[in-house]
Amino acid sequence: MFDPGLLIQSLPLLLAGLWNTVWLSAGGLLAGFVIGVGVCSLKLSERTVLRRLGGAYVSVFRGIPLLIQLLFIYYLLPRLGLDVPAWVAAMAGLALCCGAYLSEILRGGFLTLPPGQVEAARLLGLGGRDILVRIKLPQALRATLPALLNEVILLIKASSLISAVGLAELTRTAQNLAASTFLQLQFYLAAAVLYCVVNISLALLAGRLERRFEAGRA
Amino acid sequence: MSVLPLTKNGHEVMLEARGMSKRFGEHTVLRDISLSIQRSEVVCLIGPSGSGKSTLLRSLAFLEAYDDGEVFVEGELLGYDRAQGGRRVISRPARLREVRRNMGMVFQQFNLWPHMSVAENVMEALIRGRRLSRAKARKLALETLEKVGLVDKADAWPNRLSGGQQQRVAIARSLAMSPAIMLFDEPTSALDPELVGEVLQVMKHLAEEGMTMVVVTHEMGFAAQVADRVVFLDGGQIVEQGAPAKLFREPSSPRLAQFLKNYLERNSLFDDRPAANGTCL
Amino acid sequence: MDFSVLTEHAGEIGSGFLMTLWTWIGGVALALAAGLVIAVIQLSAGPWIRGALRCYIEVIRATPFLVQLFLLYYGGPSFGLSLSPMAAGLIGLGLYGSVYFAEIFRTGFTSIPQGQIEAAQMLGLTSRQIVCRVQIPQMLVLILPALVNFTTILGKETPVLSIITVPELTFVLTGVGAETFAYVETLLALCVGYFILAELCSRLGQWLERRASLYLTQGVRTPRTLKPQETAA
Repeated sequence: MFDPGLLIQSLPLLLAGLWNTVWLSAGGLLAGFVIGVGVCSLKLSERTVLRRLGGAYVSVFRGIPLLIQLLFIYYLLPRLGLDVPAWVAAMAGLALCCGAYLSEILRGGFLTLPPGQVEAARLLGLGGRDILVRIKLPQALRATLPALLNEVILLIKASSLISAVGLAELTRTAQNLAASTFLQLQFYLAAAVLYCVVNISLALLAGRLERRFEAGRA
Repeated sequence: MSVLPLTKNGHEVMLEARGMSKRFGEHTVLRDISLSIQRSEVVCLIGPSGSGKSTLLRSLAFLEAYDDGEVFVEGELLGYDRAQGGRRVISRPARLREVRRNMGMVFQQFNLWPHMSVAENVMEALIRGRRLSRAKARKLALETLEKVGLVDKADAWPNRLSGGQQQRVAIARSLAMSPAIMLFDEPTSALDPELVGEVLQVMKHLAEEGMTMVVVTHEMGFAAQVADRVVFLDGGQIVEQGAPAKLFREPSSPRLAQFLKNYLERNSLFDDRPAANGTCL
Repeated sequence: MDFSVLTEHAGEIGSGFLMTLWTWIGGVALALAAGLVIAVIQLSAGPWIRGALRCYIEVIRATPFLVQLFLLYYGGPSFGLSLSPMAAGLIGLGLYGSVYFAEIFRTGFTSIPQGQIEAAQMLGLTSRQIVCRVQIPQMLVLILPALVNFTTILGKETPVLSIITVPELTFVLTGVGAETFAYVETLLALCVGYFILAELCSRLGQWLERRASLYLTQGVRTPRTLKPQETAA
């Protein structure tokens, strides 16, 4: 059932899998953030068409399970003649879905900003994009930082689904090791422990930031 | 029926604290409280805020677990069971319920259950605790609501009632369980001034019917008029106690004198009647 | 595009859809029950049991659902727990959902004013009666939006069950896709299928919330005691 020697031997493989998980999630998060800001400004736009468009994006990418989105991208891109590496497809899938969630979090952050600030900035002659990048975004980011970190945890967990399209991230690595050694419990437990280490650290960090933020506001 | 302990002059002791103390962490809120309440006696606990009078009342119901000393309800030790070697352990919930069965309590914030109608609030414990049928419980609930003058509100929702009405429902809810002792924790403090009278009226009726009552209150008029005994607490200790007429006219401790003086200054601004003569309610 | 593959396999797809619905409802029911139990224990148990539950909650929250499923389905036999894919899927959904529901229930419990509980204690209600009659009815209304929201999330996890070969919608349709090479058609059908499920769930949730908010303002429910035979006094 357990073979410690084999576990130590395969530790480099597992860690490499974890590394893939982390950078795929990080890339997905960054791209998702850009998408999130875009969709969020659509949803906060004054034009009904754009608001509807943003709303549609959010409900589609939050409504359809991530696994289906990943399979879709994985199978659809080749059909469209786009021969992209598997990791690009995987990261794009994470980013598209993550963007929908981030846009809602950011929208919450933007809505808490007092409207007077934007008016003041406008009076000072700042343009729309400057107002977004220099006034609104930093504040929204600060206000939503704990929620954003929480989203990172969700993303890391969601990235396990990439295993279904064959990329050797942590879950897939564990799966391969489990299948070849028949030590199923050992390697899935090892994967679970690694996920725990990363995510519980992130959760602790989020909790600390949240407390600090609340203390700062009080 | 257990035989109740009797005092020297032959009265039954309904509720008694002996050398009771209560601490919150480092802070001692009640210090060596001894107090004995007889059948049909109405005792008002007064004192400045933070004097521990609400904590005392809550300890008498074991809503706060007192640390030292004892509380006896009709002769039975409340909240603790004696274990081997003289140590004591907190009673099991069933035992606690048993000792508290003849005790009713009315809270400052009414604490009605907002998801039940007025009648259902009164019926709940009758059905679940006393195992009455719905019909019987309803009948008893309506009778009790009649007593507090709210039978026409039986099927209203608590949130639709005024504060005074809600508090009267809370009294009825407690009363329906036919308690022998009723505890009131600042029953009128959360009420608008014009609603205080109706609640005090109900309590006065109860006193006249011979209910044993312990009342934490800021209403000196009520204490003067209805109480058999007033107990003045300050700093977690009983400073002085006695008949209201004596206590309010000739306070023997400077702390009580000061407390009464402050009270009169606050309350007699536009009221030429002295608040302590027992005529104003 | 040729959607005739869908009509040709309508029977399988239908049973896959039913399987998805069934695992979803079963998983939610298990998770709700377990979550409620966890929340009640957390509120009443001693520090050791509370600590153990806290660990359980943190571990489940920190690991991907897929890894939990693998542990249960492939790792289970190592400690004598051989489950069918279906059973593993249901139990997996139940375990995974239980911790999130437990957190929701816990906040619900703590949102009921302590005074209402003290009043119930003084009237001689047992702690079980207090939970069932005073706390749960009130908090259900408060936490309903959160419950509906997480039910939807749990629904979106059901496709993961296809990876351990539970014959639900995703499993059936990807199978059909692989067989006929009609990947795009089958995947589109999947998207539409889950989108409909999610939409239905959120509509149902909105309807429930409207009912619940009416209940909170206490306009919709006539008290049971208004029944004529009981009004005789």
